[in-house]
Amino acid sequence: MKRRLFLASGLTALTGCGLGNALNESPVHRILGSAETLDHFVIGTRGAAKLYRPDDVDRDFRTNGFDPPSDTAYQRMLRDGFSSYRLVVDGEVENKAAFTLNELRALQSLTQITRHDCVEGWSAIGQWGGVPVGKFLALVRPTPRARYAVFHCLDRAPDDTPYYESLDLHQAVHPQTLLALELNGKPLDAAHGAPVRLKVPTQLGYKSAKWVGRIELAATFEGIGGGNGGYWEDQGYEWYAGI
Amino acid sequence: MDATIDGAVQPPADAEVRPLVYRHSLATRLTHWISALALVVLVASGLQIFNAAPYLDASDKSNPHKRVLQFGATTTPSGANEGVTILFGHTFRTTHLFGYTDDGMGGQAQRAFPGWLTLPGYQDLADGRRWHLFFAWVFVLCGVAYIVAGLTRRDLRLLILRPSDVPKLWPMQAYYLRLRAEPPPHGKYNPLQKLAYTLVIFVFSPLIVLSGLALSPGIDAIAGPLTTAFGGRQFARLWHFVFMLALLGFFATHLVLVATTGVVNNLRSMILGTYRMRREEGTGP
Repeated sequence: MKRRLFLASGLTALTGCGLGNALNESPVHRILGSAETLDHFVIGTRGAAKLYRPDDVDRDFRTNGFDPPSDTAYQRMLRDGFSSYRLVVDGEVENKAAFTLNELRALQSLTQITRHDCVEGWSAIGQWGGVPVGKFLALVRPTPRARYAVFHCLDRAPDDTPYYESLDLHQAVHPQTLLALELNGKPLDAAHGAPVRLKVPTQLGYKSAKWVGRIELAATFEGIGGGNGGYWEDQGYEWYAGI
Repeated sequence: MDATIDGAVQPPADAEVRPLVYRHSLATRLTHWISALALVVLVASGLQIFNAAPYLDASDKSNPHKRVLQFGATTTPSGANEGVTILFGHTFRTTHLFGYTDDGMGGQAQRAFPGWLTLPGYQDLADGRRWHLFFAWVFVLCGVAYIVAGLTRRDLRLLILRPSDVPKLWPMQAYYLRLRAEPPPHGKYNPLQKLAYTLVIFVFSPLIVLSGLALSPGIDAIAGPLTTAFGGRQFARLWHFVFMLALLGFFATHLVLVATTGVVNNLRSMILGTYRMRREEGTGP
């Protein structure tokens, strides 16, 4: 992991010894992390993100994070207009299914202009069109055991770790939580997460995972990835990203 | 005093003129030191967070045309790295201080604020946020505890600037500037102290918390007018920074005055609670 190495070398310089991951599990981190529980409880996912007018939109919407997937399978899909793309839904659902892009487009029912707030501090406004996650989940019918929707992505970190994100079902069925297919009236391009990405305007940008290939409904995310509910969460960022 | 009339009484002992009084309650002392610690952690971790997007825009979304402050690094023709600070369109060379500076790992790198000012010292947004969001709660809960204790003990009202204090502000400043021999008569706190504490406790502290909350998308969804009141998310980030500078300005002035008006006495009163009155300080209302 590029960032891990960077952090580890920083720690080495600071302490004279390589602490690596040990520090992330230190009592200090556990105490500091208690604020996340409090924030999730107090703020949670309530209300609705502000909606903007068409002339507020950033035509050249900023990209950030990882580059589009570079593997041949993705490149082939990109060339054939994603006709072979399937959004797989599995785990704790009654109807395990695989949706083509055309099937998803047929479900598209929401267009909203919202502000994207990056954890780094910057903001950009875009018009997002797609399928509300709540509407989508109603089709696949999560079982009573399902508590989280885990979004597995097609891209990988430079060290080959797969990207993923997760929402609890309350966040997932928020009416503004979107499986976005379009940005500013056009199908998503590769840089912005084609063909399907998540858009969660009530939380920070890293929750809005690009290049979603599979949605797994799960009772817990503990056994998935690093066990913290998302790629950036495994790097120390909060799972609850409403603040 | 009657003593001067009959002339028979001994000059009063120093302890009578300068009695030792119980000045700060335990609640005041505890909340003072906890919020001081919180402020230091919040500023250092806040600068760490700022470094991830080292610019401030007077707008809702990011907009380079409304940029007020920006830090960056450039390379000179000779190949040297240069730190640059751009404030209201004016460029300043700030190499080794801002823009290109201490990376917290013993080297120099493109970074807005240097490692010796940030928490953690090396670039780590995730940990910076953890520190910041935890100590934000400490700061808020400490402030609430202070206000509640101050209202219960009724000593908070001595600290609040009142209209009757306003005409005394300049005479007090004149006294500090040695333009006046005696300070205007005042109670436990002088008019300038009241002004400073009233601004810090009831204006800048609430505003820095509110402008911080206005940055978060979850709060914006619940209380949109709050973010709008600050001019949008990026503008709220700018205000958050300005309020930090205001609090740091108070902090610096506070330290200078603590150090120059009897540092031992001042520290004792904020640690043990007891304070030796100074000759010019009245004990009246």
